Amino acid sequence: MSATAEPDPASLIEAYFERGWTDGLPVVPPTEKSVAEMLAGAGLRRDEILGEIPGRNTVVVAEKVAINAVLAGCRPEYMSVVAAAVRGLCHPDFAYHGPASSTGGSAMVLIVNGPLARRLGFNSGNNAFGQGWRPNATVGRAVRLAMMNVMQTRPGLLDRAALGNPGKYSFCFAENEDDHPWEPLHVARGLSPGQSAVTVYASNSLYQVYNQLAAEPEPLLRCFADALSNLGLPNVKGFNQALLVVAGEHAEVLRQSGWSRRQVQSFLVEHTRRRVADLKRAARLPGEVAPADETTWRYLFEKPDDILIVCAGGRAGSWSACLPGWGNKWTKAVTIAIGEMP
Amino acid sequence: MSSPLFDPTAAPVGREVTIAPRPGSLDGLRIGLVENTKFNSDKLLLRLAERLGRRHGMTVARMVRKRSPSHEVDEAAIDALRRQSDFVVSGIGD
Repeated sequence: MSATAEPDPASLIEAYFERGWTDGLPVVPPTEKSVAEMLAGAGLRRDEILGEIPGRNTVVVAEKVAINAVLAGCRPEYMSVVAAAVRGLCHPDFAYHGPASSTGGSAMVLIVNGPLARRLGFNSGNNAFGQGWRPNATVGRAVRLAMMNVMQTRPGLLDRAALGNPGKYSFCFAENEDDHPWEPLHVARGLSPGQSAVTVYASNSLYQVYNQLAAEPEPLLRCFADALSNLGLPNVKGFNQALLVVAGEHAEVLRQSGWSRRQVQSFLVEHTRRRVADLKRAARLPGEVAPADETTWRYLFEKPDDILIVCAGGRAGSWSACLPGWGNKWTKAVTIAIGEMP
Repeated sequence: MSSPLFDPTAAPVGREVTIAPRPGSLDGLRIGLVENTKFNSDKLLLRLAERLGRRHGMTVARMVRKRSPSHEVDEAAIDALRRQSDFVVSGIGD
């Protein structure tokens, strides 16, 4: 507790605005009871350390995250997902400082898997990236508020985003594990189907990929490869990590083809590329175009596992999405089992 | 009657840092460079070192390369810089 204000709800909300403690939207004013319930929802002690970022002298304590989760509108049972996501952000492989502070303005994409995702009602279907589901909206918001308030990631200070993107308010969805052509993401990344998990991933853009004619994987995946290799892509110069979110009709094309996850990944490694000449003409590489540059390819992915594939979205419609990762693998997606220490 | 506000913020954890004494003269100092892998970071740092060499007779004792701009300088590199150089220049931003 740090100050007092009038008990009128609107005045309380204004008091949080005045102190710069919100993301620009009204917050739910916490009480002793709601903060205690939020901590209890994840079985956390107030002083429990969820993670540290040594280079920023940041120590993330559970009570502060719980306050931010209340502010965001979370129910107590969401807190274990929020805590796992924060642990993921603090994991050394995520290398928080870059994606959090870069001019690239990454959203922290949270992908929730496992029985808890279904039990808590996270949306994995229609409008999975959009509005309308409290778990998706508030868990993503809680993590961003914790970044701002606890991890010193404030716009203009240690958040230097040139433009940012709307996903910086909240970007959280569940994987559709029921209609999946393969095993879900957390299982592909080493956890068991009975575990619940959240994967944190930094991406500064989202492109929707459309193809209504492709009935086989190859033409469909060529669209993904093209979207992941456009000349404006920040990481076109070096090896990257990328997230594909495959929705209903496209997932069905992949399932019916019998292609494995590894086949899809390998195809994309092979086809996501640009000619050196194209990159030089666009000043994405320095130097004059030499004759050999016309036939020399630069590949964007080093290996199949650099491409994360998730299923989500509605069954109808020929839409999927690709989300290029921030940095040349300077940050890597991290998957944290919910309720367990990393 | 008033209602409490719950402060959602946390300040960075303070840690004690001992600042190295400033050198009495710039002449002949050994430069350490920390290159953060940003495009042209190495070129810029080496050009800076070259100018310092011309003006003050400095030499580059060591240039270390970070794993990425997002990562910290590893302890072994810090130890080597501490032993081999008199001061360090690190860069660069966007």
